[in-house]
Amino acid sequence: MDFLLDYISVNTFWTILSVVHALLAVALLGALTHQAASVLAPPRAGAAAGFVTHFRAVSGSRYAAAVCVLWFVVFIFGAWIYTRYRYHVRILIEQEALFKTLGAFELKEHLTTIGLGLLPVYWHLWKNARNAACDNARKWLTVVLAVICWYAFLAGHVVNNVRGFGL
Amino acid sequence: MSAATGTAMASRFGTFALVFGICFGVLYVVCDMAALPMFTYHPATERLDLGFTPPRRDEGPAMYWYGWIANSALGASVLGLLAAALPEKIRGKLPLALAWITPVVLLPVLIYSLKFYWRWE
Repeated sequence: MDFLLDYISVNTFWTILSVVHALLAVALLGALTHQAASVLAPPRAGAAAGFVTHFRAVSGSRYAAAVCVLWFVVFIFGAWIYTRYRYHVRILIEQEALFKTLGAFELKEHLTTIGLGLLPVYWHLWKNARNAACDNARKWLTVVLAVICWYAFLAGHVVNNVRGFGL
Repeated sequence: MSAATGTAMASRFGTFALVFGICFGVLYVVCDMAALPMFTYHPATERLDLGFTPPRRDEGPAMYWYGWIANSALGASVLGLLAAALPEKIRGKLPLALAWITPVVLLPVLIYSLKFYWRWE
């Protein structure tokens, strides 16, 4: 990657990685939110075909592979950026004594890691979407992953706002 | 087979995936709270040390997160493979609900483990 630094500054490089990480996270958030809505409140037969009905009427199983790939890729980008965060961002936030912000970010790191470990069983449950015995586990695991994703997105957003533009 | 388990999950991969997911989360929390990384990474110097190493003087902070993930992944893989090797009769009895109950139960433990940060100053 060093050759890139002949053309762009170090700050620009890390900012690009951070923006890509955030954009992929938006895609993951959208996919998981649609999927969670489809299992929590599937559309009733004969419901008016409005925005809400369309929002929750997606075929959840079609999202499973994309969610797994996106979670993994977002995680890899996050793990990469994390090295920069550790000594260019976190230390400044510590100096400002914003401990709750740091704690919220630590919790994000833990929850997304646990979510990563759950991806194989999540994928398997959705692969067997016609197996009624898996319905409950599939539904609640999807909701748990969606909640983790929303929390991670918001915590990351807050830290980004605290630090400001440019890593 | 109970209603809470599925024939599909009794497959070897299904069992591996379920046990891996549960054990990965539990082991990760144990590694975090007991400070048990497989290795320590020093980002300022790009140095790797085996096991837990405190930050080195004038070399910036040390990172343990990657080492916790490596340990958890290794442990969960071994346990998942062992579970997948069990007879089908036993594999079919694993409650699927543990897949989502485990992270929910681990959440308060994680929040407690971060108590250092929840202070009003």
